[in-house]
Amino acid sequence: MIYFDNAATTKPDDGCLAEAAQYLTDKFYNPSALYAEGYNLHLELAEARKELLSHIADPDEFELIFTSCGTEADNQAVFCGGRRGNIVSTMGEHAAVYESVQEAGRRGAEARFASLMPDGSVDVSDLLSKVDGKTSLVSFIHVNNETGAVNDVNAIAAKIKAKNPRTLVHCDGVQAFGKIPFTLSQNIDMYSVSAHKIGALKGTGALIKRKKIVLSPYIYGGGQERGLRSGTENVFGIQMFRLAARKSYLSLKENYQKISAVNAALWNGLDKELFTRISPEGGSPYILTVAARGVRGETILHMCDDAGLIIGTGSACSSNSAKRHSRVMTSCGVGDDLIDGVLRISFSKESSIEQAEEGARILNEVVRKDRELTE
Amino acid sequence: MEHVIIIRYAEIHLKGKNRGYFERAFAANMEKSLKGIRHEIRRQSGRYLVENFDDGEVNKIVKKLSKVFGVHSLSVGYKVDSDMDEIYRAAEAVCDETGKFKVETHRADKAFYLKSPEISAQIGGRLLDKHKGLSVDVHEPDFVINIDVRENGKTLVFNKFIKCADGMPVGTAGRGLLLLSGGIDSPVAGHMIAKRGMKIDCLHFHSYPYTNMQARQKVIDLAKILSEYNCGIRLSIISVKEIQEEIHKNCNGAYMVTLLRRFMMRLAERLAKKDGDQCIITGESLGQVASQTIEGMTSSNSVVESVPVLRPLCGFDKNEIIERSRNIGAYDISIRPYEDCCTVFLPDYPIIKPKLNDVLAEEAKLDVNKLLDDAFATLEVTEY
Repeated sequence: MIYFDNAATTKPDDGCLAEAAQYLTDKFYNPSALYAEGYNLHLELAEARKELLSHIADPDEFELIFTSCGTEADNQAVFCGGRRGNIVSTMGEHAAVYESVQEAGRRGAEARFASLMPDGSVDVSDLLSKVDGKTSLVSFIHVNNETGAVNDVNAIAAKIKAKNPRTLVHCDGVQAFGKIPFTLSQNIDMYSVSAHKIGALKGTGALIKRKKIVLSPYIYGGGQERGLRSGTENVFGIQMFRLAARKSYLSLKENYQKISAVNAALWNGLDKELFTRISPEGGSPYILTVAARGVRGETILHMCDDAGLIIGTGSACSSNSAKRHSRVMTSCGVGDDLIDGVLRISFSKESSIEQAEEGARILNEVVRKDRELTE
Repeated sequence: MEHVIIIRYAEIHLKGKNRGYFERAFAANMEKSLKGIRHEIRRQSGRYLVENFDDGEVNKIVKKLSKVFGVHSLSVGYKVDSDMDEIYRAAEAVCDETGKFKVETHRADKAFYLKSPEISAQIGGRLLDKHKGLSVDVHEPDFVINIDVRENGKTLVFNKFIKCADGMPVGTAGRGLLLLSGGIDSPVAGHMIAKRGMKIDCLHFHSYPYTNMQARQKVIDLAKILSEYNCGIRLSIISVKEIQEEIHKNCNGAYMVTLLRRFMMRLAERLAKKDGDQCIITGESLGQVASQTIEGMTSSNSVVESVPVLRPLCGFDKNEIIERSRNIGAYDISIRPYEDCCTVFLPDYPIIKPKLNDVLAEEAKLDVNKLLDDAFATLEVTEY
C-alpha cells in the first residue's frame, strides 16, 4: 500500500516511538508534581520547548505554548489575539482559522477575508488593502494545505506591520513546520504548528508566540504553560514531537530535495491528457494537487484505495451541489469542469521515487477506467 | 416495596381462539428486547408484569419495551403487600408533590376488608395531609394514583401511563423484505409494516466506489434503529455498480433510474425467495420524485412475478413521512448528506412517465440475467 495522504497525517516514526516510550513506562509522572521525578520531567519539557522553538525562531525572542492540536493553537491565536475592531484573514485558510474568524465576526469583531491567486497563495495587495488602523489581527496560512502554495510570511508580515504596527500577525504553519526552510522574523507574533504532520502523534500541537505580546488564556485551570493553556502536559506526545522535529530538521534540506524529486516524478508520470496541475511549480514539494477532468475525485479516491494507493481529495464534495465544493478551490478559480475531480497527493520524508512512479501509473489507469465507464 | 413495570397490550385482546398464539409471540419479543438485562416477565390477567430487575435499569427497560410492537402502554410502580400502610407508602412514592389528583382503586380481591372507594378515600386523605400543594379533582385530575388490589395478597400502585408503540407482535404476520435506501422514506415504510406484525428483513443497494463508506454506515445505523422495533434485523447488501455502468454505457441515460429500479426489484425478488420473505416493501410515495410516478411503478412492478410489492407510504405527503421518521428516531440519520446509488449517473432529464415498450427496448440492450447473477454474487449479509 502506498500512502500519499501525508498532509492529512503522517505515520508515527518508529525510531522516535521507541525512544519516547520511556515517557509512558518509566517517566509517567505529572510534570507539575513537587517530587524530584515530577520536577525533572518539568525540566525536560522546558528543554523540549526550547529545542522545538530553536528550529524556526530565536528562543530568546519567542516562546512556545503546547496545545492539543494545530486547531487549538489557531483558535487561541484568533480568539485571544483578535478581540476588537476587525480581523483580516484569507479565503485560503484551513477551517481551523477560517471558521474561528467567522465566529469572532459573530462575536463582535468585523471579519474580513482577502482573495487568493489562482495557485492558492494570498493576494497580498488585497490583503493589505483590508488592513487598516482598526485591524487587531491578521491571520494567514504559511503553506496552503490544499494546493501547497507558499506565502512569504516574513515579507507579508513586514508589509502589514508597516501599515499598522499595532496589528498582531498570526500564521498557520501546520504544513510548513519540519518541511520547508524558514526562520520567523520579529514581525510574526504568533505561529501554529502540529506534531502529527511530521511523524509525531495526533493530540499534540503548539502555538509559538513572541514573548513581548500579551495573550489572555484560552483554557483556564491549573496554570500550566505559564497560565496560557492549563491542563496536565501531554508528556509523551510532546517528547515525540521533539524527537520527530529533531529528525526532520537534521535533514531538512536533503528531504526537501528528495521530495521535490518525488513530486516531480509523480507529476511527470501523470498523463497530461487526463490531469491538470493545480499546485504551483514553486510551492511546497510535499503537496501536489491535480484535477482529473470529467471524473469525481471521491470515486477516484475509492478506486485508488482498492488499487493500493491512498490519496486525498481537495474537497469534501459528496453531491452535485455547488455549495459543497472546497472554498479554497473555488477561491482559486478552479473551473466547473475540474473542481469535482480535485485530488491531493501529499508526501512525507519516507516517500520514494519508486512509489511516486507506481502512484502515477495507478492514477492514470484508474482515471482512464473511470472515464471509460462514465463518459 | 418492590419496583415493577406494568405492561398493557394493544390489539391482541381483540383476538379470539388464536389469542394464545399472539400472546406467546408477544412475550417472546419482549424477552428478546430485554436480553442481557436481569428481569422476570409474568403474565397476569390481561397484562404483564416485569419484576426482579435492578432499580438502576428501569429507564433502560422502559425504553426497550416501549419499542416492542404490541405494547399499548407501560407504568412504573410498586408491588406491596395488601396492607393499608404499605399501600400508602407506595402511593406516596409515586405521588407528585403538587397538582390536582385523584386516587382510583381496582379491587380484584373481594375479601380485602375495605371497598374500593374507601381505599381511595383513605389513601387520598393521607396524601392530602402530607403535601400541601395537592388538591383533589376527580373530573379533570393532572394525575391519577392507581391502586390495584390483586387476589394473591399483593397490591400494585402506580401513577403515569407511558404511551408505547401499539401494533401487533412482530412475527405474527409473516416476513417481508424492505428495500432500505438510506433516505427518509424507507425506514418509515418498514416501521409501518413491522407495526402490523410483519418481521422485516432489509436489502440495500450500494454502488461503491461511486458511493462511499459513510453512505453504507448510514444504512447500517438505520437498520439498527429498525432492529429495536423488529426484535433484530437482517441487512443484506448488494452492489449495483456494474449494472449502473452497463446501463450508462449501453442505454439511453434518461432511463437510468427506471431501468435500475427494475434490476433492484428483480434482485429483491430473488433474495425474498431465498430468505422466505413473502413480500417486498418500498418507501415509494406517489409523485415524490421522477421515478415514483404510477408509470414508474408499473415499470418496476412488472418484473416482480411471485410476491406482492407493498408501498405503505404511497398516499403520504413528505411532511407526514418526516414526522413519522422523527418519531421513530431515524430522521437525524436519514438526513446525513451522503449520496446513494440512485444519484450516481443521474441524467439531467430523467424519463418521468416511461412507456413499458420503450423501457423493454432499452433493457434489451443489456444481458439482464448475467448482470443479475453477477450482482447477486456480491451479496453480503449481517444480522443486527
